[in-house]
Amino acid sequence: MPKVEVTTRDGSRRTLEAAGGSPLMEVLRDADTGVEGTCGGMCSCGTCHVYVAAEWASRLPERSDDEAMMLEALQDFVELRPGSRLACQIEFDDQLSGISVEIAPEA
Amino acid sequence: MGAINLQQLLESQQLERCPFPIPAGWFFVDWSSSLATEEVRNVYIFGQEWVLFRSESGKVGMTDPYCPHLGAHIGHGGKVVGENIRCPFHHWEYDPEGWCKKIPYGKVAPPITKKQAILRTLPVVEKYGQIWAWYHPKCEAPSWELPYIPEMEDAEGWSGDRHGSWTASTAIQEIAENGVDFAHLKFLHGAEQIPPAEVKFDGHIIDIDMAQGYIVGRGYGPGLNVFYFTQNGVSATMISYTQPIDLDKSQMNMSFRYKDYPEGSQELTIAKKIVDHMIGEAEGEESAGFESVDFIVWNHKKYRPNPLLCDGDGPVLQFRKWFKQFYITDDKELLEKI
Repeated sequence: MPKVEVTTRDGSRRTLEAAGGSPLMEVLRDADTGVEGTCGGMCSCGTCHVYVAAEWASRLPERSDDEAMMLEALQDFVELRPGSRLACQIEFDDQLSGISVEIAPEA
Repeated sequence: MGAINLQQLLESQQLERCPFPIPAGWFFVDWSSSLATEEVRNVYIFGQEWVLFRSESGKVGMTDPYCPHLGAHIGHGGKVVGENIRCPFHHWEYDPEGWCKKIPYGKVAPPITKKQAILRTLPVVEKYGQIWAWYHPKCEAPSWELPYIPEMEDAEGWSGDRHGSWTASTAIQEIAENGVDFAHLKFLHGAEQIPPAEVKFDGHIIDIDMAQGYIVGRGYGPGLNVFYFTQNGVSATMISYTQPIDLDKSQMNMSFRYKDYPEGSQELTIAKKIVDHMIGEAEGEESAGFESVDFIVWNHKKYRPNPLLCDGDGPVLQFRKWFKQFYITDDKELLEKI
C-alpha cells in the first residue's frame, strides 16, 4: 500500500499507509492528523491545508482556480508556502507513495 | 378520392395544452404597498416558490427559498437583518442580490462567496407602484428596461382605480396570442366585423393597431401590455401584466386608467364606459370584453403547433416566432414543438 510521511502540528512525524484511489485529505483525516476536510472537496473550507515537501510539490498537478482561491483566502490567517495545497485536491495513489506533507496550522 | 390524411384527424391526441417553458422577461410580482419594511413572505410564480423580503432601507429582494449552505427554506423562519435576509438555520445572511454577507461562525469564508452571489435572486425594480422581477432561466441580467407609463407613474393628471385579477388555466403565450387573432373578435366577442389591424415586431416589443386607432397596443416582452382604447376622442388605457404562475397557470392582472376628466363630464362617462367594455359587457355595446368569453377557450384548448389557418386570420405564426425569443432552453426538440 502507498505511504504518506506526515508531520503533524505538534511536530511529530508519522508514516501512514492507505489504499490508493481516494483524496489524500481522506487518508489524513481518517488517521486523525488534524485535517478535517469539512467541505468534502469543494475547496470551500480550507481545513485540509498541507505543506507538500518541495520535491513532491513539483510532481503534483497544478492548482485549480477554486483551490488557488481558497488558499488565497487562507493567507489572511496562516502562512502560505510554495508547497501549500488542499489535500482534498490531491488524488492519492501508488505514484505518490512516499509523499511528504506537513499539516498546516488551523485558520 | 385519395387516402385520408390520418395525421390530420388524429393529431389532437398528441397535442398538449401547455408545452411551453416559462418565458424570460419582466413580470409583475405584487403591489409595493403589500410588502412592508422587514416583511418576509413566500410567493409562488415562475413555477416555483420564492422568498420576497423588504430590507430595513426598503429594498426588495426575491430569492430562491433554499439556503446554499444546508438547504433550509429561508421563507420559513428567515428574518430581515438590516439590508440582508438571514437564514433561520445557521444565520447565514444574504443581500437582495444574493451575495453572502455574513457567516457568523466561519473564519474563512468559502472563496465563491467573494466571487459571486451564491443564492439565486431575481433582479427587482419597483415601478408603477408595483414590484417587478426579471425572470431568466439561466440567471442572465435584464436585456431591456421597463417603459415609462405616465398613466401609472405620474403623480397627477390621471385617474381610475379599477384593477382586476383573473386566473387562466393556460400558458401566457396562449393568452397573448389572442391579441393578434383578430378574427376571434368578431366570432367569440361578437364585434361587428373583423377589425382591420396592423402588427409590427421589433425586438422585445410588439405593436398592434386595430381598426385605425380604436385599439392601439404595445407589448413589452411577455409580461406587460399597454392598450389604448379610443372612442369619440376619449381614450382609456388598459395596463395588462400577466404572471406565469406555473406552466399551465397564468394570473392576468390589469389596471384601467384615463385622463383626470372632471366629475360629471361627458369625457369621464365615455372613459368609464370604455373600461367597462374592456372587461365585460358594457351597456349598449355589441361585443363582449374578455372576462365573459375568452376564459372558456383558454381554459380548455390545446396548443396546435401546426394550426390550420385560413385567409382572414391574423399574424398568428409571426406572433409565435416573435414570442419564441423569450424561451431560453437548450431543449431543441421542445423549441421545435412550440
